[in-house]
Amino acid sequence: MQDLGFIIAGYGVILGGVALYAGLLLRRLSAARRASLEIRRDAESATAPPPDREA
Amino acid sequence: MGTRLLGIVALLAVVGASVNALFLVPADVYQGDAQRIMYVHVPSAWLAYLSFGVTALAGIGYLWRRDLRLDAVAVAGAEIGVMFTAFAIWGGMMWGRPVWGVYWQWEDPRLTTTALLLALYLGYLLFRRLTDDPHRRAARAAVVGIVAAVDIPIVHFSVEWWRGLHQGPTIGSPDKVLHPSAPGLFVLALVSMVLAFTLAWAWLMIRRYQLARIEWQIEEHGRLGRLSAARRAARKAAIPPPDGAPEGA
Repeated sequence: MQDLGFIIAGYGVILGGVALYAGLLLRRLSAARRASLEIRRDAESATAPPPDREA
Repeated sequence: MGTRLLGIVALLAVVGASVNALFLVPADVYQGDAQRIMYVHVPSAWLAYLSFGVTALAGIGYLWRRDLRLDAVAVAGAEIGVMFTAFAIWGGMMWGRPVWGVYWQWEDPRLTTTALLLALYLGYLLFRRLTDDPHRRAARAAVVGIVAAVDIPIVHFSVEWWRGLHQGPTIGSPDKVLHPSAPGLFVLALVSMVLAFTLAWAWLMIRRYQLARIEWQIEEHGRLGRLSAARRAARKAAIPPPDGAPEGA
């Protein structure tokens, strides 16, 4: 195959770049989902009625 | 579940189309194997157009409906479009060096307007960081996204409007789709790669949209938290403690 270096560089950067972006996107999404869940839990515990003192 | 399935299908399609483009399709008689770079360069350019087109349309939609979900679509398109524009430029450079003898030429209108497109949407992403107010940010970004989209037809038709190094479209117009100037096997390889890349693009867009929505919710929560803390502080400062009560009680 001629111009192998250019072909490897072309395909490597483009396909590798898309794969890298997809991986980072999934990581960012999972971190954001965790943060969102924590916020929701905090909000629920803040609005929950206080425990019954007589019980 | 549907998005996961789309991701798997897109991955298999990209792998299959890449194997076909790299090992099964014959090399071009004039350009040799370097022509194989076209199979990833052209889909990248197509997805750059598509992404920025979606950003502009979502911007118009936002200005009309004031729905932040459309802003999430716009930012997804811009970020993914920037990535594919950079890849289109990279692929073009890797093809240009063995075929043209140069990586880049500023006098070429296609190359220069594509570089401008990349700069415009990088600017769009930076511009979004200037304000925290989601609606003000969405409205301003929508205007920038729409104005920047004017460059998309300029990039596409630059090879017909002006003379430069870059070749004209192979299948870029309705007439060329019916009568392409490349052999059928080459066109098939290119079309299959375009379809595979478009599937991957759809998956990326969905995931980036989901991320934008969650980020907005987190941001909104932070803003509400700061607001209620400020209100509490203001209330505390306005009402003096009763006589005899210890300070800060």
